[in-house]
Amino acid sequence: MTYNEQRHFRSINRRSFLTQSAYGIGAMALASLLNPVGGAARAMGAVTPLPASGAGAGGRWRGVVNPTHFPVKAKRIIHLCMAGGPSHLETFDFKPRLKELDGKAFPASFTAGQQLAQLQNTELKARGPFCEFKRCGQSGAEISNLFPHIQGLADELCIVRSMHTEQINHDPAHAFFNSGSSIKGRPSMGSWLLYGLGAETDNLPGFVVLTSAGKTGLQPVSARQWSAGFLPSKFQGIQFQSKGDAVHYIGNPDGVCQSTQRQVIEEIQRLNGMAEADHVDPEIATRIAQYELAFKMQASVPELSDFKSEPKAILEMYGVKQPGDGSFASNCLMARRLAERGVRFIQLYHRAWDHHTGIVPGMTSAAADCDQPTAALIQDLKNRGLLDDTLVLWGGEFGRTPMGQGTGRDHHILAFSLFMAGGGIKPGVTYGETDELGYRAAVNKVHVHDLHATMLQLCGIDHKRLTFRAQGRDFRLTDVSGEVIKPILA
Amino acid sequence: MISRFSLVVVGVVASAVVGVGVVRLSAAPAKGAIAPVPAQRDDGEIRFNRDVRPILSDSCFLCHGPDKNNRKAKLRLDDREVALAKGAIVPGDVEKSEVVKRLFTKDPDDVMPPPDSGRKITAGQRETLKKWIAAGAKYEPHWAYVPPVRPVVPEAKDKGWVRNPIDAFILEALEAKNIKPSAEADRRTLLRRVSLDLIGLPPTAAEVEAFVNDKSPDAYEKQVDRLLASPHYGERMAVAWLDLARFADTVGYHGDQNQRNFPYRDYVINAFNNDKPFDQFTIEQLAGDLLPDPTIEQRVATGFNRQNMVTREGGAQPGEYLAKYMGDRVRTVSTTFLGSTMACCECHDHKFDPFSTKDFYSLGAFFNDMKQWGVYMDYSYTPNPDLRGFSNDHPFPPEIQVESPYLKRRMSKLRGRIEELAKGSAGKRAGDAKQTATFEEWCASAREFLSKSPTGWLIPPAAHVAAAAAAPTAKSGSGSKSAATASVPEAQVNADGTVVFLTTAKKGADQQVALTLPGGWVSAVRMEILPHAKTGTAANRRPPARGITVTLAASLKPKSGGRESKLAFYYADADHKEARYANGFDILGVQTGWKLANDAATTEQTAVYLLDKPFRAAEGDKLILSIKGDVNAVRFAVSPLASERAIDPDLAGRVTKALAVKGTDGPAGVATTYLISTGHDAEAFERYKPLHRELLECRDGKAWTMVTEARAGAPTTQRVLPRGNWQDESGEIVEPATPHFLAQLPDAGKRRLTRLDLAKWIVSKGNPLTARTFVNRLWKQFYGNALSALVDDLGAQGEPPSHPDLLDWLAVEFESGWDVKHMVRLMVTSATYRQCSSLRPELHDVDPNNRLLASQNPRRLEAEFVRDNALAIAGLLDTDIGGPSAHPYQPAGYYANIQFPTRDYYPDLDERQYRRGLYTHWQRTFMHPMLANFDAPSREECTACRNVSNTPQQALTLLNDPSFVEAARVLATRLLNGGAGDDGARLDTIFKDALLRPIKANEAESLKRFLAEQRSYYKANPDDAKKLIAVGIAPTPTSPDAAELAAWTTVCRVVLNLHETITRY
Repeated sequence: MTYNEQRHFRSINRRSFLTQSAYGIGAMALASLLNPVGGAARAMGAVTPLPASGAGAGGRWRGVVNPTHFPVKAKRIIHLCMAGGPSHLETFDFKPRLKELDGKAFPASFTAGQQLAQLQNTELKARGPFCEFKRCGQSGAEISNLFPHIQGLADELCIVRSMHTEQINHDPAHAFFNSGSSIKGRPSMGSWLLYGLGAETDNLPGFVVLTSAGKTGLQPVSARQWSAGFLPSKFQGIQFQSKGDAVHYIGNPDGVCQSTQRQVIEEIQRLNGMAEADHVDPEIATRIAQYELAFKMQASVPELSDFKSEPKAILEMYGVKQPGDGSFASNCLMARRLAERGVRFIQLYHRAWDHHTGIVPGMTSAAADCDQPTAALIQDLKNRGLLDDTLVLWGGEFGRTPMGQGTGRDHHILAFSLFMAGGGIKPGVTYGETDELGYRAAVNKVHVHDLHATMLQLCGIDHKRLTFRAQGRDFRLTDVSGEVIKPILA
Repeated sequence: MISRFSLVVVGVVASAVVGVGVVRLSAAPAKGAIAPVPAQRDDGEIRFNRDVRPILSDSCFLCHGPDKNNRKAKLRLDDREVALAKGAIVPGDVEKSEVVKRLFTKDPDDVMPPPDSGRKITAGQRETLKKWIAAGAKYEPHWAYVPPVRPVVPEAKDKGWVRNPIDAFILEALEAKNIKPSAEADRRTLLRRVSLDLIGLPPTAAEVEAFVNDKSPDAYEKQVDRLLASPHYGERMAVAWLDLARFADTVGYHGDQNQRNFPYRDYVINAFNNDKPFDQFTIEQLAGDLLPDPTIEQRVATGFNRQNMVTREGGAQPGEYLAKYMGDRVRTVSTTFLGSTMACCECHDHKFDPFSTKDFYSLGAFFNDMKQWGVYMDYSYTPNPDLRGFSNDHPFPPEIQVESPYLKRRMSKLRGRIEELAKGSAGKRAGDAKQTATFEEWCASAREFLSKSPTGWLIPPAAHVAAAAAAPTAKSGSGSKSAATASVPEAQVNADGTVVFLTTAKKGADQQVALTLPGGWVSAVRMEILPHAKTGTAANRRPPARGITVTLAASLKPKSGGRESKLAFYYADADHKEARYANGFDILGVQTGWKLANDAATTEQTAVYLLDKPFRAAEGDKLILSIKGDVNAVRFAVSPLASERAIDPDLAGRVTKALAVKGTDGPAGVATTYLISTGHDAEAFERYKPLHRELLECRDGKAWTMVTEARAGAPTTQRVLPRGNWQDESGEIVEPATPHFLAQLPDAGKRRLTRLDLAKWIVSKGNPLTARTFVNRLWKQFYGNALSALVDDLGAQGEPPSHPDLLDWLAVEFESGWDVKHMVRLMVTSATYRQCSSLRPELHDVDPNNRLLASQNPRRLEAEFVRDNALAIAGLLDTDIGGPSAHPYQPAGYYANIQFPTRDYYPDLDERQYRRGLYTHWQRTFMHPMLANFDAPSREECTACRNVSNTPQQALTLLNDPSFVEAARVLATRLLNGGAGDDGARLDTIFKDALLRPIKANEAESLKRFLAEQRSYYKANPDDAKKLIAVGIAPTPTSPDAAELAAWTTVCRVVLNLHETITRY
């Protein structure tokens, strides 16, 4: 018997189908993405025909989790990333005992042997919360007075006070929060979701990122935070720019109007079609489909970015001074517009929360940036019936030390707070507790992996079954752990 | 040095001792002894490596494999002895084998793999395992861990097709399936293919014609030789290596600051161009600094170890980041050289391959001799006395300064441009009597000045302007009495022009000195800062002047009583100074601040400031100089002459000599000095300044580059970090060691091994992985798929090679001389390579992914070459080799989210705009969007394999990125200005330029229709036409007619967007 490549292929097919197309790794994945039902299914089988020939009709990617593992509660996610790490002690985790200890030595029993950031090698003193808290709504959730608008929505929120994470510096902590790993090259949660569930729109990217900045407490944020990692780059987040074109290269060149651009694309399509007759190359069909998508995006983004249709009352509700001014308020309104148009994952970074010093003015100002727009977004989604299937997540990459650092607080990974709303999460709930000084998550601890598992569950995905083979093993967003937090599911 | 020792393989199969071999270190190995190949040929048997291992690895090894911490029931299925001892496998007895029971049982508690593991096993796979056990459950060591031996080259039936051994292996497999290879590609396609593959650039239309018409039998081989000899070959080959070396311009973490390292990129390019043997290439990069008397080149090569991401973030713990850096190096070395995925072992033993956690940290320990810091900053909470005074703008030591041939070439290019500018200016005045007279007058005055002041400097009478007088409210018209107006004198003026500041001088206040000018040109101001000993007074206010930064401002107060006007300096330099940095680079000159040299505190220090607008002073005009920075004593001088270097002790002599020469139109040789000393030709002078700046940016042809240096004292201790936790110090201490189950170095265990040992081990004959890893990657580069498809994993979870014998043959051939060009030549001259790339529908079922290579595979160009190709087609490409990174157009505001320091992006405005893609500034946190859209990796991690995606973002890039629009309009301009021709001929020319083939009738017909549409549009919309033909920095042509050019530009845009244009067929 001769070398049996049939068997050879069978044995390797499942784990390396993505790597074997004529164009090498990824190409076939992409080809099959265009016709995922046919392409992926064929690729999984024993015999793979030329990938996606004729599949270029432009069908959108419908995800590898198809049908979904569970009923879909959240069709889309809006992540309001409070970059820099807001203090849990001045947002959602009121610690009267810490207030009493203010200025006194912080008990060493809490901190012995722990990793600290800038407080390393210094004398540790307790710093009490600088603001008051109020019990709000029917649920009586405790929310700081820095967030009067969010206080008003307490009964919509599920506050988690027992978060903990593994990375103590911003960049790796963001990476961990986004991808479940601090090692570079892992897909972010938006990419996973898009890969798993597919897109609901052809006209816009399925994963959009917007950034804004506060007055103080700024930290850089890297594009790797919305990277697709080892997933095909089709799944990477697309950052909408605050200056110039909303999306890179979305605007026509100078001197090219929309109808000329349309003609150019049609001519490209025509000639590519002729080439397809001469070369047996399935990528040509894919290319043709991609130009069609590109044109749709060129046509859709200007409409998306045009806030003229938004009534004055809506602008006021969000606190938008100048639509498109790059503020968090404007970005929140954009987030709603993106959600309405079927974007799967929308991530807003507000860089304003790294208050090593000047936490009183800094946090007051950052909270003022975010409070009203966040509340408006949730309310607006609710008014439009979108909140039921949109999960809103508000929080940073870690919390801050109950110990003071001069006039501020240092990074802290053992405890932090965040909240969720909508999309199948139980409203009016406060989940988890920290110890009496807010140093360590103590009751119903929630690790970042658990949060991811829960988010995926709400999206209809079993986090253990959304995997991608890279570097010889199956990877998933939750690495090798993660438990769904069942008590907070509606 | 040849050492003999037993090659111990503690294999995947513990009982299988694979063999005894000879490891030759450092000496170039002789041609490998030909030995019978391990029986890899298919004989109908179930083969462990090909059929069984993938199933076990995928379904069982997670719990019953090499990872001892995760092992269930103490059972290993990767180890025959254990599997037999535990009764899991009873060779030949299927019924008694527990494995079979567990595979087939319906009991959910017993069935394997457990339902909740997420692992599935198919009915066919179960049968395979059953058959394998029935046949005796023979194990084989994993193919990649057995040193390759040179297989016998098979005898194919169709001998005429075989050009070299590659073809024999490929054809054998094809013939076994009765598949005929494809025909050879036509010559146009072939030359375009091999050119894009070898140098990353398309051939020119003329080169294609020459090849098409070359009737010699070795016409193709000649082309291959030409391409291999091209300096662009190194650039093309460097791209893949730079992905592995994770080469980037920025550090990647947090502030993502610039780092200085382009000489390392040049090293890689040169190494490929010079065909540096791969063993040497490896040794130099990992351990060049440890070689005896390392050359500069060898030290530059060690930049490889420095390309890991680093941080200087506040609050970052050095220990944590040192662990991250180590992990990165282990991943990089194992991926690059061993084709292995060791990343897993940072936390636990590898679950599929025999790499242990101890192997991970032992490999990392090789690098513990390096001078490095976890946090490149000196914070109070993590003090770092080595980097005292560092800011976010500082570079990342250790670095060495090296010569850059590119910068030298650029300097002479810029000097040429400056000379041309001065000549042009001289030409303009030649025919102008008034200007000629002015020039001669200047010459005369310069001669006179130089005769009186042969140094070129004049010290005018100075006076201290007291603070009160210096205040803006002061109305005092005369500086001479200003010193007297102060109640308490703050300074004393000596006869030699020295101004000594007294203890009474206000600290931190600007001090002013007024010079009474003698009249005539003033182009430069010299400031001497004088130390205590020279001032002749004990009245120092800040002894000695060191550690401070001095800035100088100037204004002119005419004697005639006009308004005082501010003067600006465009450049200044000092003879002693401390470097000041802006985002990693030395700030040029001292015009924005002169940081006094610490080591010259007690000697004179001199700075020369060049006036932005040289002026002609009237006698008695006052030059007011304001000094910020508490200096001790100063003395000022002025000069009518300026040199590009500012400090130029030879200037006066040079000009004196030049002025002595009589020429027909005045002294020659002073044209440049005249221009820059007077700025008489304002337009030329303003064009001079940026050129001057660029010239200075070349930094005398020298550049800094990060290198590996051994730290003082012993290497740091390395422990195994339990679960990767850097704070856990309970793990065992490990010494540098190579992975335990592979051949060991002769000195292992006898002394502490070094990076040099590691490097030599990597390229030693006993190492089964290195050569296979390299040739497998190379194969992918030329054939689209690697022989073992996962180029970054030759382990159990990788893919058994499609042509195992061919892979081994190539590996042995490579090891026999480590000659990369030889391997490349073998691959691209094979008949296999030359086949037509049209995929064959009739083979869909037998060979769906064309692994048998019955045709070539088309390949989309990689990001850098998508760019290069368009620029080359347009004739815009800058073909210079090496040098600093370039800055192509980039969307505005893209770096808005980067801080520490904040920065902006400035596109290059000269030929550097058109540099090849591999020179693009690589900002790890915000990759250039064009590169990112075409799948270039951010190089935060070692990358062996790029994605190849096909996305709308790529379409948007080709359609709208100004680089591509500019390429289209320049191509169109060249076409229209390139001689007469009707539309049809022009369209044909575009296709020959861009696709290297004639246009087809249907294409021509379609494009003619399109052209007509565009013509009528742009005729009707002349403003749009003007805008389109002005995209980019290339000069906007005045002819042809804007509408016509815009219409053709649009045609060229279409062609540059075609799938064929970005694909190598």
